[in-house]
This record gives sequence, structure tokens and C-alpha cells, in this order.
Amino acid sequence: MTSASISKAEKSYIQAGLLTSPPRRADGRYLHDFRAIYLETGVAPLSNGSARLSIGRNPLDGSGGTEVLAAVKLEVENIEEQTLDGGRIACNVSCSPSAYPHLSSGALDDLQHDLTTVLHQTLSHPSLHPKNLGIIPRKKSWLLNLDLLVTAEAGNIYDALFLAARAALWDTKVPRTRSVEYKTPKTFLSASGDMDVDQDTRSGFDTRHVAHATDFELPDYWDEGEILEGRERWPVAVTLNLLHTVHFLDATLQEEASCASRLLVVYSHESPTAYTIQSMRMLGSDELSIPHLKKLIKEAEGFTRSMATSLTTKLEDEDFRRNQKAREKFGRRK
Amino acid sequence: MDEDDEDFLETGGMKLTWPGESLTSSQDYMRGHGTYVDKEEVVASVSGLVERVNKLITVRAVRTRYNPEVGDLVVGRITEVQPRRWKVDGNSRQDAVLMLSSVNLPGGVQRRKLESDELQMRTFFEEGDLLVAEVQAFFGDGTMSLHTRSLSYGKLRNGQLVTVPPILVRRLKSHFISLPCGVDLILGLNGYIWVSKHVKENEREGEEAFDAEAVYSNQNDDIDDSTRMAISRVTNLIIILASRSIPLTDTILLDAYDWSLEQEGDVKDLLHEDASDALVTTILAKG
Amino acid sequence: MSADRLLLTLSDSSDSSDGHSRIEILNTGGYRSDGRRQYELRTISIDLSPQGSGADGSASLTHGLTQVNVCVFGPREAKMRSQTYHDRANVNIEVAIAAFSASERRKRGRGDKRILELSQTLKSTFEPVIQTSLYPRSQIDIYIQVLQQDGGLLQACVNATTLALANAGIPTYDFVCAVTGGVHSTSPLLDLTLLEENDLPNVTVAVMPRSGKITLVSMETRLHVDRFEEIFRLAGEAGKVIHREMRKAVKDRTEQLVASMQSVGRPSTGADVGDNEY
Repeated sequence: MTSASISKAEKSYIQAGLLTSPPRRADGRYLHDFRAIYLETGVAPLSNGSARLSIGRNPLDGSGGTEVLAAVKLEVENIEEQTLDGGRIACNVSCSPSAYPHLSSGALDDLQHDLTTVLHQTLSHPSLHPKNLGIIPRKKSWLLNLDLLVTAEAGNIYDALFLAARAALWDTKVPRTRSVEYKTPKTFLSASGDMDVDQDTRSGFDTRHVAHATDFELPDYWDEGEILEGRERWPVAVTLNLLHTVHFLDATLQEEASCASRLLVVYSHESPTAYTIQSMRMLGSDELSIPHLKKLIKEAEGFTRSMATSLTTKLEDEDFRRNQKAREKFGRRK
Repeated sequence: MDEDDEDFLETGGMKLTWPGESLTSSQDYMRGHGTYVDKEEVVASVSGLVERVNKLITVRAVRTRYNPEVGDLVVGRITEVQPRRWKVDGNSRQDAVLMLSSVNLPGGVQRRKLESDELQMRTFFEEGDLLVAEVQAFFGDGTMSLHTRSLSYGKLRNGQLVTVPPILVRRLKSHFISLPCGVDLILGLNGYIWVSKHVKENEREGEEAFDAEAVYSNQNDDIDDSTRMAISRVTNLIIILASRSIPLTDTILLDAYDWSLEQEGDVKDLLHEDASDALVTTILAKG
Repeated sequence: MSADRLLLTLSDSSDSSDGHSRIEILNTGGYRSDGRRQYELRTISIDLSPQGSGADGSASLTHGLTQVNVCVFGPREAKMRSQTYHDRANVNIEVAIAAFSASERRKRGRGDKRILELSQTLKSTFEPVIQTSLYPRSQIDIYIQVLQQDGGLLQACVNATTLALANAGIPTYDFVCAVTGGVHSTSPLLDLTLLEENDLPNVTVAVMPRSGKITLVSMETRLHVDRFEEIFRLAGEAGKVIHREMRKAVKDRTEQLVASMQSVGRPSTGADVGDNEY
């Protein structure tokens, strides 16, 4: 992301390695290998869903990787405009100065802004929107805040952010709500009722079945709530680092500094047959022919598919692990 | 650890300490690095190992930035080109200084053409360049000044950098190490280690006559596949050993290299948890 | 244990929004809302393993549910020459609070008043403790990231910063150990949770255990002068307990590092020491 300080000789050493046959990377990886990824969900107890994800940290002391913390917080919003019916999603990326110890605060702000734009634009798109963020139609709904915090960076930040986001969203539980209707004196009801009628007429929706719920309560349940609808849809990103004719994945900072451009492709894999591109960026300055681009996009589909599959497996393991832990905990208590 | 007796200082045993801990009386002993005097007591200011030479008490911190000494061999990276000098990051408290007058220039030692040299400083070293140099002296504020006026010093090529805590690089007879696998190591005392393709002594640039173009070139040699793999292997081994705080000496690196060749799996697999653990266990067992 | 406390915090926050009966700060049996006694401290956990992108020293510390990470970079070349001093190092402290760290989401920017105030308090606490005169013209950057808040934020920041500095090998005169104290009617309480902090007059006190000197007193609420003295004494005592925990963490890490450094090859004594002098 932030170009590492690198000498011309180091750069050409890395480039020559990538372009030889067979290609060789500094740490011995093949072009399409990822470094080790570690993932844990449920790391922020005050959130509705969270995850910590790292790529390439040292297995013995945990140093030297890229690390992202993602947390979802749900807030109740009063809806003024019709368009907000069904809730909305807001993403925000913060970069800790400890992840970028050489950047000035201005540069850090710019970086946060860039990352936030990509994450927010992709994840808040209507095609991904979960159906269970509404509370009371045209009155209240959930605002889903997804906050991502970069605590260390050693390359490949976009992939890490999207993986962490997907994990936190997967982990998110929406509190169950029950609508409450107030039986209020006629005079009061008519006052507010008039306004409703006005809006209804404009919208043209059939509102006869909508209850006159004005508020809601949080009933006590044995669980924390229900999972987000369609959580399989949350996309996965892959960054293809481009150097002449080769492309490689999961670049280190030095490798990122050694290639002129990168292609970020974000795919959603709802099922093995249904997949869509949710976002795409060309980062850096280089030229790319259309046939080459097409080939890359197609390959990216394969990469994201396998990433999505292994992430889902890992997330299911995490769900199981934490249920197990909770069971043991409560078991011991009795 | 409330060890009040002062016998430890006599026995030569190991004693650890941390900030604020009284070590001994300041009337009988002198304070050295990592200590201060408070109410007639020598007190530690860092956490680490207490050391004593005659009447001098020092505490050597277990983790700290590089503390340079004159004559040290270091690896550094150019951060800035200034008039008649380069600033060099050497993992110390401040960037080091490399004066234009402290590098070998085209045309031999006797020449004086400083004005034109000043205008083309970036043809010698530019931002990002890595170099190996010797600590020459200190300025008043403690900044170190470097020199590269030896044929073994200068710009680094044909390899990659790995950084470790400086304390893991011990003072050795020579910090230029050639491993039998065709890999050269430069163990900078500042914790920057250069891992590169072996270059035979007599093929070093400008061995006979100083060849500025070759010395300041950014061009790498051709590096064959096995050498490239060996460089990656050595780099990964250093990363793993350093993360467990194992000192990096030539014998340890050789042992580690031999061990890794006997293992199944690729170079990249060394960075996995099982392999890392096995490596550390093996090295520690050898003592 | 910590999960139990979490449940309490969570259930309380929903209670108060519903206007239900409040949890008692101190019940008749002498127990606090999270089951602690008056002077009982929450569990402290400390992790000194490396963090950030190559920090020179770091520490992750929790007091109960409050969690803070600190990374120290330096002493190093100053980013801006205008911010250097010819006779000492510049200590730069930046605090960031994760938007998801509290029960109500809140994003605070770098310019947020509360954040600036917190950084300033920490800077004036640590500047006299760090031996800055050893590093003229250098900069020491201390980056604090708050990950979870459940009371005692300042105390956690102070303690974690002390540990990160020790871990980075930056010379300090002593540890700085902080604890929060409050008063419920006439009963003093130590190490307050957010619930208690919001309800009680409270004060954060930091001590240097060696000299017993107080390096920080921070109070945002009113406290009766008669109570002040008692809280002060108690906080001093509690500081010693916290010091013990912090010292143990530093000792364990130092031992571990020294052990592996000496496990192989020639032990480093004698000759090296001579070399170190100039």
C-alpha cells in the first residue's frame, strides 16, 4: 500500500525472481501462494460481530504481518426518508500509526480515506444488502456500522480488509425485536396519523397491512439474535499484482514497491454457480490490454472462489469453537 | 525478585533487572549505561542483564535500538541526499551521516573535484539505496558518521535485506560470512543483515583498479535458480531464529541450514509453525 | 470471569435505556456490581509480544474489560526537524480510540478534544520519567490504541505505556503505575468500571513505586476533601499491587529473551562489556 523504501538493486532482484522460470519469490512462495492467514471471530465483546485477521505473521512471535480488526455495531435509526427503509450499512477504515510508523498524519488520513471509499462503496451496495435490517417499516431500522482498524501492515491490505469484513459480518447477530403499538387517545393518533397518510399517498405503496407500530422492544432471548440474511453473499477481494506478463498474489510491501500496478477484483460467491463482480480497481499506472484484463478477471474469480470457500469453512469452525466454549462455560457453572 | 544481597556482583552469575530497581551502593560502584544514581544507590533504568567490570555497573537492555561504536560494521539505507552528505537509516537513535568525503570516488584517492561530485551525488547513492559501511566517528550530538572507504564496503546488490534485533548480532572476527551454499551474509551490528549471492574475492568490483561505475552500479548479476532458493532459505531461517531471540552466528546459521536441507517441503514451508518450532528445538538442543 | 463481567455491563446498558431499576454500586453484603469487594482490583493481563509494523517495543494490557495496545517507535530520527530539541528527545504521544470500543459507537478523530486532552496528560506524565536527555534531537513516538472501554481508561493507558517503554529498552527512572479510585457515599472503591465511573466522584492517581512519588492526579468530578486523602492512600497501595503484576510481566519477558540468547554459543559477558564503553 504505502511504498516501502527500496533500492533499485532490491527491486530488480525481486522483479528478476518473478520473471525467471520457474518464478521465485523472496520467501520461497510460488506466484499464487498466500502467506499464512490467521482468523479469530468474536474478539470485540461490545460489538454485534467482530473478527481479527492477520496475513503472514511470524508463527513464533506473531510479528511481521498485516493485521486487521473488524467490528460491527448496530444502531437504531429513525427513518426520515423512504429510501432508508430496511436499514443501511456504513463502513469505515482507520489506520493505526503503529501500522504505518513512517507516514505523516496527513498521509495517514489520505490512506484511511482511500481504503474507506473502496470498502464502503463495495459493501453498502444494494445487491449485498441483508434483508433483516428493518425494524419498523418507515419508522425505525438498523444502521450497521462496520469499523475496520489496521493495526499492522506488511502488504496486501485490501485482501486483508475484505476478508476481515466478511468474517465480522458473518459473525454479526441482529437483536430480535418486537414491534409495540400504543393505544393512544384519538386526538394524538390523528395528529401523527395524518402525516403518515401523506407519506403513504406519495409512495404509492399499499400500506393497509402495515401495523401502526410506533416503537419496539428487545425481548429476552436465549441467543444474541439472528445472523444477517444472505451472509454467504459478502464478497472476497483478490489483488493481482502485475509485472509484465505475470501476476502474483499476496504481495509483501517490498513486492508491492517492485511492480507498477495492481488489479483489485471483488467477487461475491453466493453459490458455486452464482457469482458476481462487486467491485474492481486498477491501482497504479500501467497499461493493460483488454484480452489480458479479461483473462485476469476470469482468473480472479477462481482465486476468490477458493478464498471464499476456505474462509467459510474457517468461519464455521469458529462458530463451532465458540459454541463449544460457551457450552463448556455454562456447563461448568451449573 | 527482591534480591537485596550484593553477592551476585562477585559471583559472576547472571542477574536481571528492570527500571527503578536498586542495584548497589553508588559509593562503592560507578554507574554505567542503563543505570542512574538516586540517593547513593545505583538504580537500573532499563530491563536487562546486569554486568560489572571492576567498579563499573551497567545494564544491557534485552531490546533496544542500535548503540553504535567506532569501528562497527553496519548496513544502512539512504534516506536523504543533502549537500555534500547522505543521511542513512541505521536503526539507531538518529539517522547516520555519510559525508561525500567519506566515500571512494572515481579517479582515486588523490583527486579533488568536489563541485562536480556534489552535483552528481545521486549517481553514487540515492534514496533507498542500501550500503555497508563502518562507523567512523561521532558528532557532538551523538550522531554517527560512516565511511565506505574500503573495497569491501559500499553499495549492496544481488540479494535481499532482513532485519533483526541488534542484540542478536554479536561482535565477530568478521561480519562478512560466506556460506557453502553459495550465499554471502553481511551481519550488520545494527541488526540489518544482507543476504546475497556469493561473489568470489577476485571478482569483486575494482579489486585491482577502482572502477566507480561498477562499484556504484544498481545492476544485479545473473543469479541462478539454486542460489536464489538458497538466499530465500537463509532469509527464512534468520527470520525464524530471530523471532525466538537466538543469536545469529556463522555456526548457528550453518547448523540451521544443514537441518533445513534434511527437511521435507519447500523453502516457504520453513515459515510454518511446525517447521519453525522444529528448527528452534534443534538449534537449542545443539547448545 | 471476564465474560461474566461483560454480561453485567451489557445487561446494564440495556437496562438503563429502558429505565429499569439500576444496579446497586455497592450492595449491603459489601459487593460491587461485578462481584468485587471494595478494594479488589480487576484481573490484569499483559502481553509483551511484538505488535504493529516493527515497533521497538509494545504492550497489550487489560484491566477487566478495558483493553489498550501501545506501540513505541524510537528513539528515532524525527519526522520533522522543527520538532526536535538540541538537548533531549521529543516525546510524541498519539491516542486513538476504536469506534467500536464502547457500548455506544463513537468515532473520534485525531483532533477530538478528549483525545487531545488524554494525550497531553500522558505526555506530561511520561516526559519527566523518560531519560530524554540521553537522546538529543531524537523522537520517541508512543502510539496508543484503545480497543475496549469499561472504565479506567487513563489508568490502562499509563500502565500499558510504562510496559511498552520498558519493552522498547528506553531508559526510564521507574515504572509508572496508575489506578482509579472513587467514593460511594463514604466507602472508597478501587479500579472502577464504566458503570461506577459514571456514577461516582473519582480520581486517577499514578505513582512511581521506587520513590513513592505521585506523577499524575486526574479528577474530572468533585470529591470531598476528607475523602481525597483516603483515596490517595488507597491508590498508592493499589499502585504497588499493580506494580508487582507489571514487574512480573517485564521480568518474565526479560528472562525468556535472555535465556534463549544464552542458550546457544558463547555467553555474552566480560569482553563485550568493555566494548560498550566510550
